[in-house]
Amino acid sequence: MTGRIYKGLGVALVLYSLVYGLLTTVPDLPIIEESIRNLFYHVSMWFAMVGMMAGSFSNAVGYLRDENLNKDGRSESLAETGMLFAFLGLFTGMMWAKFTWGAWWTNDPKLNGSAITILIYLAYFVLRNGIEEPRKKARISAVYNIFAFVMMIVFIGILPRMTDSLHPGNGGNPGFNSYDLDNHLRMIFYPAVIGWVLVGTWIASLRYRIKNLSQ
Amino acid sequence: MFVVTLFQSVLKMAKIGLLIQRFAQQELRNSNAIFSLGLYLAGITYLVYMLGGQNASDSVWNMLLWVVVFFGAISQASRSFEFESGDYFYYYQTVAGPKATIIAKLIYNSLYQLILSVASWALFSWFYGNTVYNPGIFALGLALGCIGFSAILTLANGIAERSGGNVTLSSILSIPLTLPVLKIVSAINIQAMVGAPLEEVYELVGSLFALDIAIGLLAYLLFPYLWQD
Repeated sequence: MTGRIYKGLGVALVLYSLVYGLLTTVPDLPIIEESIRNLFYHVSMWFAMVGMMAGSFSNAVGYLRDENLNKDGRSESLAETGMLFAFLGLFTGMMWAKFTWGAWWTNDPKLNGSAITILIYLAYFVLRNGIEEPRKKARISAVYNIFAFVMMIVFIGILPRMTDSLHPGNGGNPGFNSYDLDNHLRMIFYPAVIGWVLVGTWIASLRYRIKNLSQ
Repeated sequence: MFVVTLFQSVLKMAKIGLLIQRFAQQELRNSNAIFSLGLYLAGITYLVYMLGGQNASDSVWNMLLWVVVFFGAISQASRSFEFESGDYFYYYQTVAGPKATIIAKLIYNSLYQLILSVASWALFSWFYGNTVYNPGIFALGLALGCIGFSAILTLANGIAERSGGNVTLSSILSIPLTLPVLKIVSAINIQAMVGAPLEEVYELVGSLFALDIAIGLLAYLLFPYLWQD
């Protein structure tokens, strides 16, 4: 029953943010203009990714505590779903950057952070594929997962604040946070984040169950 | 009670000291490894010099130095657990235990990498001239960077070693993880070279110091899980 509630809520919130994000009026800012709507589609992907990776991290910590292999399976499925969100975030960001900054890729701290995050988690999957024995695989990859998550938080959460970024809201760019505390945008952005986290949890649980069945 | 815990911690310290001594002896006996690292540093520095490094600007000089130090550190750390694999693993397990082993490894690798990076700094200064405005801050940056590198590389190599000793795997795991440290440390060193105001540098030094402590603590906490069968 609780499963149905969170899945239904997730789908409803995602649909609301997708539809209402296009219909609503947005503040008229220079340079970004109508593309400010990407806040609902692009930024929520990164929040959902961090949510998935945090779930993967907490399952890894749980595995080291009680050696329950189910937690290892959940940890892997959540990391895979997080990767999906990372690629979607990268893709939506690149589309936006091409039309706002004029380039698909720039040397921006947030872009570097996301590229490194993807490399770190791809290495995690390579590591998992290299070990045969399930318990050894679970333990070693949990150790790496914990270390990787902390470094990811440093790279995407702390480093970009220390340097200028081209992103809206940083270093003299018109943006959502510093200029206009527009509660109207937040009314769509926060539901989008919650909705995508719920849908991501659903995807991860499906992956986990399929993997269990195929074994 | 207090005396007993004090005595135990002194014993533990002595054990760590002995382990470090043993690692150093092993390395010195295996003089081929040291020689090849030294040759790598000299060779790569001269290669960069030939390719036009003598005209390098400050930022390029710094970048080249860090590329050399970074790959030197990776090749040094890739042999971290060379002597602790196979049967020796059980020997260290019973004699020292994982906690003493990781502390000794971290200290030993940091010192080793510090020597490597100072040697490359000396080589670079010899070939291209030393253009560092504030050598104290530069050395501090090198030291903190080496501590961070050694913690990340030691743990990553431990992971690679326990999962079957694949050499490529250790670089796949460690290169993305070391980038935050590399990014901050090269920012510190470029500021030391141009002589930026000290308040700005200290902010970066403080954050690198905090990052080092966090990484070291994480390596210390996670290593016992890795080092069991």
